[in-house]
Amino acid sequence: MRKRFAGVIGLLALLMIGALAVSAAEYVPGSPLKVGFVYVGPVTDYGWTAAHDQARQICVDTFPWLETIYVETVAEGEEGATIDKLINEEGCHVVITTSFGFIWGTVDKAQQYPDKIFLHATGFLREPNLATYMADFYQIYYLNGIIAGALTETNKLGYIGAVPIPELKRHISAFALGARAVNPDAEIHVRWINEWVDPVAASAATRALIDEGCDAFAFTEDTAAVVQVAAENEMISFGHYSPMYVFSPEYCVSGQIAHWEAIYLDFFQKIYDGVYTANNLKHVDYWWLLQEEGVEMGCDPGMVINPAYEAQLKGIMFTDPVLGEISIYDLVMIRLQQMSDPGITFDPFQGPVYDRKGVLRVPAGCILSFDELTQMQWAAEGIVGAWPDEP
Amino acid sequence: MEWQSWVVSTFSFMLSYGTPLLLATLGEIYAERSGVLNLGIEGMMIMGAYSAFVSAYVTQNPWIGLAVAAGVGCAFSLIHAFASITLKANQVVSGLALTLLGLGLSGVLGRTWGGLPLPRTLQKITVPGLSRIPILGPSLFEGQTLLVYITILLVPLLWFILFKTRIGISIRSVGEDPATADSLGVNVKRVRYLCVAIGGMLAGVAGGYLSVAYRPAWTEGMTAGMGWIVVALTIFAFWNPITGMLGSFLFAALYHLSFRLQPWMSPELLRALPYLFAILVLVFVSRGTLQRRMGAPAALTIPYTRGED
Amino acid sequence: MRQPTWLQVEKRTSLSPWVVFGVSFAAIVAALLAAGIFFKAYGVSPLRAFQLIITGALGSKVGLAETVRRTIPLLLCGVGLTVAFRALFWNIGAEGQLLMGAMAAAGVALFVPMPEVLRLPAMFVAGFFGGALWALIPALLKVKLGINDVISTLMLNYVAAFVMQYLIQGPWKGPTARGFAYTDRFPASAVLPRIPGTPIHWPTLVLGVVAAVLAYVWVTRTRQGFEIRVVGENPDAAHYAGISQGKVILMVMLVSGGLAGLAGVGEAAGIHRMLLAPAKLSLGYGYTAIIVAWLARRNPLAVIVTSVLFGVIMAGGDVIKVSLGLPFQLVNVFNGLILFFLIGSEVFMRYKVAIAWRRR
Repeated sequence: MRKRFAGVIGLLALLMIGALAVSAAEYVPGSPLKVGFVYVGPVTDYGWTAAHDQARQICVDTFPWLETIYVETVAEGEEGATIDKLINEEGCHVVITTSFGFIWGTVDKAQQYPDKIFLHATGFLREPNLATYMADFYQIYYLNGIIAGALTETNKLGYIGAVPIPELKRHISAFALGARAVNPDAEIHVRWINEWVDPVAASAATRALIDEGCDAFAFTEDTAAVVQVAAENEMISFGHYSPMYVFSPEYCVSGQIAHWEAIYLDFFQKIYDGVYTANNLKHVDYWWLLQEEGVEMGCDPGMVINPAYEAQLKGIMFTDPVLGEISIYDLVMIRLQQMSDPGITFDPFQGPVYDRKGVLRVPAGCILSFDELTQMQWAAEGIVGAWPDEP
Repeated sequence: MEWQSWVVSTFSFMLSYGTPLLLATLGEIYAERSGVLNLGIEGMMIMGAYSAFVSAYVTQNPWIGLAVAAGVGCAFSLIHAFASITLKANQVVSGLALTLLGLGLSGVLGRTWGGLPLPRTLQKITVPGLSRIPILGPSLFEGQTLLVYITILLVPLLWFILFKTRIGISIRSVGEDPATADSLGVNVKRVRYLCVAIGGMLAGVAGGYLSVAYRPAWTEGMTAGMGWIVVALTIFAFWNPITGMLGSFLFAALYHLSFRLQPWMSPELLRALPYLFAILVLVFVSRGTLQRRMGAPAALTIPYTRGED
Repeated sequence: MRQPTWLQVEKRTSLSPWVVFGVSFAAIVAALLAAGIFFKAYGVSPLRAFQLIITGALGSKVGLAETVRRTIPLLLCGVGLTVAFRALFWNIGAEGQLLMGAMAAAGVALFVPMPEVLRLPAMFVAGFFGGALWALIPALLKVKLGINDVISTLMLNYVAAFVMQYLIQGPWKGPTARGFAYTDRFPASAVLPRIPGTPIHWPTLVLGVVAAVLAYVWVTRTRQGFEIRVVGENPDAAHYAGISQGKVILMVMLVSGGLAGLAGVGEAAGIHRMLLAPAKLSLGYGYTAIIVAWLARRNPLAVIVTSVLFGVIMAGGDVIKVSLGLPFQLVNVFNGLILFFLIGSEVFMRYKVAIAWRRR
C-alpha cells in the first residue's frame, strides 16, 4: 500500500512539475498561437466590444495557426482572476485586455507572468511583455465636423457623449474644429449621459438637444439610438463605431468605424514571426489612425459619405486660404487624403488653436504631442455645455 | 418665445417617456392593491421589450408586438403569482428572482437580435384641431403615438374600476383584510392572481413600447432600471391611478430637464434630481393626517391562508 | 385545500435547522438540474459543467479565493440586513450605504492628513459612519413622517451613486488618472492587506464574521435585541409594552447602514484600492445581500453560510463565462432559477409532506 501511495505521489509531483514547465514555457515563434481576449462588455453590443470581437474573428479567419478564446463582461477588478484562468487553464500565450479600467490587473499579471505577452487597449503603462494600443477617431471627427458644419441650417450641432474622459473630449474638440473651419458660427452643444450603453438616456439627451435647436448629431454611445431619434426628426447624424447606415439610409451621412483587426493582425503576425517577444514590448505602443487604417470614415464600410448627400455637398462652396475655392465634398476628400497618406500633411489640431476660454492651446506651426492628445481636458471654441474637469 | 419652447418640449417628452412608466405603474398599483408586491417589474418589462421587438420584426406589425408583449408579461407574472399566492413564498425575494430570470432570459435569447432596426414602428399621430391650441397643442397633441393616448384614457378607467365598482371593492378588500373578504365570499386567490396578471400585462406592454416605439431596436438591458422606478412611483402615487399618472409624468419631465439643464448644473447631480424629488414630495405630503388615508394596503406582502393567522 | 387522500400534508410545529438545510440543499440541486437543460441547449454536458463549476468555485486556490472575495461584502451587508429585517424595516438601500461607506473611506484615505498608522482604522470608522448616516435618513423619514421605507431607501441608492459619480468625475478625480473617472490610487497606508496571491482582504472578512456573531448575540440575548424582535413580530404588543418603535428603527438602521458601509470600505480599500464608478465598485452586493439575508431566515449567524453560498454562485458564474464559453447572461437565469426553487422549497419547510400507504 505504501509503495503504491509513494508511486502516486511521485507521479503527481512529476505531473505538477510538467505542468509548471508547460505553463512557464515561452511561446516559440512559428508554432500555434493561442490568444485570450478580455472584454469589458458583451459581444452583442453594437459598439466597442462588438468591434473587438469582429476583429478577433477576422484574425482567426486569416491566420490558420491562430486560436482564440474570449471572456465577455468582465468587471474591473476581476480581470486578474480572468487572466489567471486564461493563462493557467486555457493555455493562452497572449492576453489582450480591451478596456482602460483593466490597467492595474494587466500590469500586475504582466509582472507575474513574464513569459506571456500582454496587450492593453488605451493604456499607458508598459512592461517588457506588455504593449499598449489604440485606434483613434479624432481625425475622422474633424472631417465629420466639416460636413456637419456645412449642412446645418440652425448652426447648432449636437454631441451626445458617454463619459467625460480625454478620448471623448478630444473627439468633440476635433468635431468642433472641423465644423467651425467651414462655419465660424457653428455651436457644438454637448450632453453627457454618464454611461457607455444606455439607449434610453441617449434618446432623451438627443431630444433635449433637438429642443435646443440642434439639427445635426454626432455621439459616443454603444447603440444607434441617437441615429434613430435624429432620423425620426429628419435630422442628420454620424454613425459611431459600428456601421449604422442601416438604421437610417436617409439621414446617416457619415461616421466613424473601427478596424481593430489592423492592429491585431499586425501584432499577431509579429509574434508569430518572432519580431515581438515577451522581452521587447516596453516601447510598443500602437497609436493607429487613418494612415495605418486602424479606423475608417463613414457609416458603412467602403462608403465615406452617404451617396444621397454627395450632390448637396458638392454644391456648397468654401474658400480655403490654401486650397482656394472648392466644394465641401472636395475639401473633405482632400483632407482625408492628407491624413491617410504616409507623409501626413494635415492635423485637425494644428496651431493656432484656442480653447473656449480663450487660452492658446496649440501655438501656430505646432501640433499636439501624444501625451497632450491622450490627456486632453480642454474644450475647443464653440463648444457649449457642461465640461467636467475643465482646466 | 424661450419659455414656451421649454414648456412644449418638456410636456412632449413627458408624454413619450412617461407612458411606459405610467403603464407599468398602473399595473403594479393593481397588483399591490390586492396585496401582492411584485418587484419583478424590471424582468417583466425587459421580457416584454424583447418579445415585442422580435414579434414586431417578424410580423412587420408593431401592434402585434405589443400584444405579444402583453401576453409574455402576463405569463411571466404568473410565475411570481404562483410562488407568492399558492406557495405563499416571500414576495420580495420572489419578485427579485423574477427580475433576475427576466434579465437573464432576455439577454440570452436576445443575443442575435441586437443591431437590427425595426422596419415598421408605431406611427406618430397628430390630433387634428386639438393640436392647434397654442402651447398645449404642440406639446400634447402632436407627434405622439396612439398608445400614449390609450394609456392616458386607461387612467380614469382604472381609477373608476378600482374605486367605484364592486370588482374594485373586492380588490381593495382583499388587499386590506383578506380574512373578512374571504368570509364575505370573495375568492381571495382568484382576485390576487387576476391583479398580478394585469400588472404583468401592463408591464409587458410598457417594455414593448420601449422597443417598438420609443427606441425601435433591441439592446440587452435596455430598460436600464425603469422597473425599479416604477416600484417607487407606485408608492409615490399612494396606490391611486390618478396620482400615478401625475407621478409618472413628473418623473419623466424631471428626467428630460436633467439633460436640458446640463450646461448650468453638474450633470451627475442633475440625474439625481428626479429621485430626490420623489423623496421631497413625500416629505411635503406626509405631514399631517393626509398620510394616514393614503397608506399601503394593509395586507401587502402577507400571504393569505384560510383558517390560519 | 383539497388533497388526494394518499398525500398527507401536516403543518410543521417545529423547524429544525437540519430540515432547513436539507430542504434548501435539495432545492439548489433541483435548480441545477433544471439549469442542465440550458447547458444541454448549448451543447455542453451538464455533468461536465457542474464539475467545472464546483472545482472552479471551490476546488482550486484561485476559485476559492474568488468565492471568498465575493462573500465578504455579502456577509457584511447581509448581517446588517438581517438586523433591519428583524424590525420589519425593509432596507433596500444597502447598495447606497455601501457606496457611502466607500466614499467616506476614500475621503479619509486621500485627503485627510493624519499619522499613517491611524489611517486604516480611521477609514473603517469613517466608512461605518458614512453608511450609518446614509441609513439614518430613511429611518428618520419613517419614524418622524411615516414615509415608506422601500421607496426612501431605494431612491437614496440612486442619489448615492450619482454623488459618487460627481466626485470621481470632478473634485476627486485623481491627477494620475489621466482624465479618466478615477481617484488616485490609495497610498500604501490606506490599502488593506490581502492574503498573498489572492484578492481576499482578510481584515474585512474577520470584521464580517465578528459582526455576524455579535449581531446574533445582540438580537437574541440582549434587551435591545428583545425589543427589536418584538417590534418586528408584534408591533401592537411592542406598543403596549412601551417599546419605542422609533428608537428601535433608528438603532437597527444605524447598525445596518454601518455594516454596509464597512463592506464599502472593503471594496474600496481592499479590492480596487481607489474609488471608481459605482457600478464597478459594487457588483450589486447591496441587492444580492437582500436575498442572502432572506435565505438566512434573519439569523445573523446563518448569513455566514448563505453569503458563502452566493459567493460560490457568483464565482461559478465566472467559470461559466470563461471555461464553458456560455453567454454571461445565463448566470442571471441560474440565479433566478435557484431562487425560485428555494422559494418553492419553503413549502416543504412549512408543511410536512408524506405519502400515506394506507387509505384513511
